[in-house]
Amino acid sequence: MCGGLADDAIATAQSDVPGRPSSAPTHSPLATDVTVTTNAPMPPTSESRAIARPLRTWFVELCAPLLVGGTLVAAVAMAIAFAASSSASTPLDDAMQSEMQDDGDGMMSGASGDAPISERERQFFEKKIRPILVANCYSCHSAEAERIRGDLVLDTRDGWMTGGASGPSIVPGDPDKSVLIQAVRWADEDLAMPPKRKLKDEDIAALEEWVRMGAPDPRVVTTGAIDSEGPALAGKSWDIEIARDFWSFKAPVKPKVPSPANATWSFGDVDRFVLASMEAHDLKPVGDASKRTWIRRVTFDLTGLPPTPEEIEAFEKDKTPTAYERVVDRLLASPAFGERWGRHWLDVARYAESSGKENNVLYPHAWRYRDYVIASFNADKPFDIFLREQIAGDLLPAANPNDRAENLVATAYLAIGPKSHNQQNPRQFYADVVDEQIDTVTQGMLGLTVACARCHDHKFDPIPQADYYAMAGIFASTATQFGTVQSPGNRRASSLIALPDEADVVAGPTMSQQVRTLIERGQERLTAEADEAMKAAEGKPREQVNNFRIAQQRAQVRTLESILERFDENGRPTIENRVTMGALDGQKILEAPILQRGEIDKPLERVPRGFVQVISGEASPSMPSDASGRRELADWIASPSNPLTARVWANRVWLHLFGKGLVPTPDNFGHSGVPPTHPELLDWLAVRLVEGTWSTKALVRELVLSRTYRLDSAHDDKNAEKDPDIVWLWRMPNRRLEAEAIRDAMLAAAGTLDRTPPSGSVINFAEGGLRGDNNRLLQQLLTDNRPLRSVYMPIVRDRVPDSLGVFDFAEPSFVVGDRDETNVATQALYLMNDPGVVGAADAFAARLVHDVPDSRNAEGERIRRAFELTLGRAPSGAEVTASKEFLDDFKKALVADGGKETAGSAGSGDAPRQRRPRERLAERAAERRGDGQGRSSNDPDALAWSAFCQSLFQTAEFRTLN
Amino acid sequence: MDCCSNRMPLPMNRRALLQTLACGFGYAAFAGLATSAFGDDIATDPLAPRSPHFAPRAKRVIFLCMVGGPSHVDTFDYKPKLATDDGKAFGKGFRQGAKLLASPWKFRQHGESGLWVSDLFPEVAKHADKLCLLRGMKTDVPAHPQAQMKLHTGSFQFVRPSMGAWSLYGLGTANRNLPGFVTINPNGSAQHYGSSFLPAVYQGVPVRASRNNRGNEEPIENIRNTRLGSKAQREQLDLVQKLNRTNLKREEEDAQIEGVIESYELAFRMQAEVPELLDLSSESKATQELYGIGASGATPAGESFARQCLLARRFAEEGVRFTVVSHGGWDTHRNLRDDLEKQCGEIDRPIAGLLADLKKRGMLDDTLVVWGGEFGRTPYAQNGNGRDHNNKGFTIWMAGGGVKGGLSYGSTDDYGIEAVDGAMDIHDWHATVLHLLGLDHEKLTYRHAGRDFRLTDVKGVVNKAILA
Repeated sequence: MCGGLADDAIATAQSDVPGRPSSAPTHSPLATDVTVTTNAPMPPTSESRAIARPLRTWFVELCAPLLVGGTLVAAVAMAIAFAASSSASTPLDDAMQSEMQDDGDGMMSGASGDAPISERERQFFEKKIRPILVANCYSCHSAEAERIRGDLVLDTRDGWMTGGASGPSIVPGDPDKSVLIQAVRWADEDLAMPPKRKLKDEDIAALEEWVRMGAPDPRVVTTGAIDSEGPALAGKSWDIEIARDFWSFKAPVKPKVPSPANATWSFGDVDRFVLASMEAHDLKPVGDASKRTWIRRVTFDLTGLPPTPEEIEAFEKDKTPTAYERVVDRLLASPAFGERWGRHWLDVARYAESSGKENNVLYPHAWRYRDYVIASFNADKPFDIFLREQIAGDLLPAANPNDRAENLVATAYLAIGPKSHNQQNPRQFYADVVDEQIDTVTQGMLGLTVACARCHDHKFDPIPQADYYAMAGIFASTATQFGTVQSPGNRRASSLIALPDEADVVAGPTMSQQVRTLIERGQERLTAEADEAMKAAEGKPREQVNNFRIAQQRAQVRTLESILERFDENGRPTIENRVTMGALDGQKILEAPILQRGEIDKPLERVPRGFVQVISGEASPSMPSDASGRRELADWIASPSNPLTARVWANRVWLHLFGKGLVPTPDNFGHSGVPPTHPELLDWLAVRLVEGTWSTKALVRELVLSRTYRLDSAHDDKNAEKDPDIVWLWRMPNRRLEAEAIRDAMLAAAGTLDRTPPSGSVINFAEGGLRGDNNRLLQQLLTDNRPLRSVYMPIVRDRVPDSLGVFDFAEPSFVVGDRDETNVATQALYLMNDPGVVGAADAFAARLVHDVPDSRNAEGERIRRAFELTLGRAPSGAEVTASKEFLDDFKKALVADGGKETAGSAGSGDAPRQRRPRERLAERAAERRGDGQGRSSNDPDALAWSAFCQSLFQTAEFRTLN
Repeated sequence: MDCCSNRMPLPMNRRALLQTLACGFGYAAFAGLATSAFGDDIATDPLAPRSPHFAPRAKRVIFLCMVGGPSHVDTFDYKPKLATDDGKAFGKGFRQGAKLLASPWKFRQHGESGLWVSDLFPEVAKHADKLCLLRGMKTDVPAHPQAQMKLHTGSFQFVRPSMGAWSLYGLGTANRNLPGFVTINPNGSAQHYGSSFLPAVYQGVPVRASRNNRGNEEPIENIRNTRLGSKAQREQLDLVQKLNRTNLKREEEDAQIEGVIESYELAFRMQAEVPELLDLSSESKATQELYGIGASGATPAGESFARQCLLARRFAEEGVRFTVVSHGGWDTHRNLRDDLEKQCGEIDRPIAGLLADLKKRGMLDDTLVVWGGEFGRTPYAQNGNGRDHNNKGFTIWMAGGGVKGGLSYGSTDDYGIEAVDGAMDIHDWHATVLHLLGLDHEKLTYRHAGRDFRLTDVKGVVNKAILA
């Protein structure tokens, strides 16, 4: 399907694009060109060759309005430049920057013409004026009033500016003309305020003085609020002091640890908080979990893997007082910890290896960020530093090339978001990139939904539209480096960041000859097709030739070529593969204009770069004129005084250990979120996190060694009646395991799990969009079914592996702090029929036979071993009996089925059926591994054991953490 | 208009939803959910049938999605002036020099309503009095991927749930043994039938309907076991359920375990029902012929589309809420005369068959049939004998399910370039489809990332003029 391009023009423009990542500068920011409000220079003309070619109507129509004061030719030149340029290191193209800058009157001519008020004026207002208004006027003229009189409110500046029934209440500078002053003077009988008692003379004088000063009023946040939708909070500007009076916007203060009545139950302070809440609700904690239950719980929670039967046994036998600590320390030191907890962060970071959206362009280097995250958790990198690196790693000092490389890779956080690579309008594209970055950063790190304020002031939180564009300026001054190769399906490519030569970084995976051949054949085929089409076109009228298709084929050849440039003939990654996605400062530093309703062609006044005012305070941060401000943003977010950051992270950690956050909406700490159930505990944890140098491992260690974490999950009628939702944590809630843990646990039981981290990702062998021929290569790569840990599976948006997707894997296009936990039929079908699951069951069965050699008692022993490997416990007598009966009955059923009818094919399945490619692959893989899979299909005993093993995977208990 | 809209305090976030929808099985929240501070502690079922906001006119939708942008000026938007001005230079805008291209096909009036339909659709034209032509459609962007995304989800800028997912979310399922939202041989991004931030239960289930139903691919992922017979698999399930019930006894009451138990029973029933449903051999020869199945001279794509239409009726009959049938190849930049004739030839009889069959079975009254693509095409020529994309004016038609038949609503200008009268954009169309299903598009919201979302964002006006 054609992408709707101007066939000739774009094809020509693109034919010059090498599409290779170019080395970008690796150190100090490039930016030197500070915002100017004149027209920016045009981009270099070398790319504008295509201007003369006809452009499709709508293409120009889309671009033309973008130009303010430019000529059409210039617009086309820019449009083409966007389409063609892949080597520009700033994705926020010059033209876009000029767009954002060239609306001339760039002054802050806000709707209300406000100059910032001085500290002296603010003091005057706070000391003299506000108290008068609050004491004498608010009862009838504020949002709190039962009934607002005369349509006038005085609790915001907008209130008196708009005025009420009698018009604007104050004429700044002129007390005599101000209705409010006349009213308080009681000059006019009909307009005497307050109606019952005249103000003291000194109060009237103060008000007069204030009006004479120009009525400086701090009760305002620049709203930029435009015509169509007013600000949300009571429909007027906000008083920032009042807005700040919300639990999550106030700095956490380390609370006093309570002393619950039961003084002996608690192990530590966490327990004292929890127990105090229980006691306040007349609840009693249930007993402790068994050691088996606890070690299964903590092993899954810290590593995403089940404990081995040997580990369980050793722990049960260990009667020393430090037995629990030893287990926890062993798990924290395991590389599996980072694989588990890194994945939690990857959910929040919406990690994926493709752009998603329409053309789903692959990001072959995204895996470096995945590895960075895992390594950071394993190294217990202080969480503030971890955040700082992701926002501004490129701007941070580095002690050595390795650190430098790490810092650069960290910024891929900003680059891996979903994008519309075929977006025609570059300004729209970059505006959307910026929006996605704001959304991800604020939800993920701050628990704020700032992106809601793109089109209007936030509806629930005191976040004016101006705040959004203050942050947008920071990201608009940033050059996001997402790479990809330009093609008809991908109009938006950028360069990538070269990693320092001296750095000791993973080079990448080794390309197999098979993949190489596939790529080369693809190139040959496409070249031949294009040549043939060209030949056929000779002498034909132009309109009968499908130039677009030919251009597409040529572009695909180039895209494939760019893969081969990254690997040498032996399949080893070349220096071209030592690149990362990430962020650098743009060539221009700019302040973004507020966009009316978020529409790119409706710029209003510009706002200085900055943060969320309600958190950052009025003292506007000083933003460097020669850098994007990401470093300042990072410092602000990762500051101990930011009221949200530590709370949000502590809450996420809690959520992953107790199934639900203390704030049940982990990505939303605003007004539309849910307030904390244990606010003091949350604050205590947040403060402790900061005091403990932001160590995640220390926080996790403290929590899992608490008495609260050791509670059994047993039901209790009395407690359940009072607290059915276990809000007060009188027991451990049951949790469903995540998709990764379910798959890894199956492979672990089967004994086939390969715990070695792979080098890179199979997506490293690909490039280009998913639509079209490239699909074939991707299909091949995605059939990679190495039994690696699930965190290393390729995550391509819209192509998430079945094994993950079916169990509520985090949608990789969003910040997902809390996954769903469902139990649906598609999961049942997956566990019943998926060849991968069947393969794991086969391997598991083979392992049982291997572990327990034939003997008189072998059957019972194998059943016992199977239970231990999957459920971490021995079977009951009844369960052994049921299992033995099954093994017999199943074999009889096999005979009854006669091998003719397969389940699910009733009525239509008597013809021989071709096997799915995936099955064939699974079989071949099994043959290679020599684990008996595939060959076992005819042996009733082997089939029965495999079916038995599979049924253990299928139980509710297997996927449940008690 | 109010974007984040709908200040109605709908506590419908993902979690809350799982808890507030009552009823028992198929889907149980785990303790983490069931114990949320939001509400009830019971296992819940987001697929439970729900009462719509008001009396529905349609209970289900069959969306015949023409991928590539079918020409409106050659099919359902009669433009006599285009015929008389054939070959004239079209002097507007940047397309200067482009020449108007008269439709190579004649238009005639059909039925009592006298609806104009071109000769490309002789069979569909016989149902003219059932059709409600929306001839003033428009969309934002004349590029396929964006316009397709817009068509299905209402947004090309963001990842959003599809129309089918919203419908299922609003109505719940009517058949426990089948998915509530099915897309047959989907053609395009998975987002077209995705659930985005809605719970995954609402996403469309792709059904691969191969030509003879015995191809290489399973119709639904993991719908059959490649190794075990049904008796052996039942034995296996019996063991699983026995272990689950023992577990349930141990844990006393546990909604999650109940949910797991039920999910296996449902899966087992689906395994039995889906292949049967996909097996068209149980349909009479007459019915098959009605759809044009096995018609001589049919192209493979035509045969396939005919089977898909019949399949869509079978799904509709079994209570599937939303069925999408896709047909590609409408991107006629060149060779219009041959290609469009082939395209229309492939779908004409199957669609006419579907309308007739639904009517005969009394299902047309509460089944909304929709035909259309992501945009239309230009009245001026491209590559001599082709047409370019046109997002400013095109036609979608609907039939049955509470719309007025024999109606032509809205119009484009003399040539068919731009909607000038009764214009409807995609949001308006979505709002109208939801309205027909008994859903108020402004009330059908879902809380995500701190605010309430709708299929129609901040826009959409229900077109009441076309309601029967």
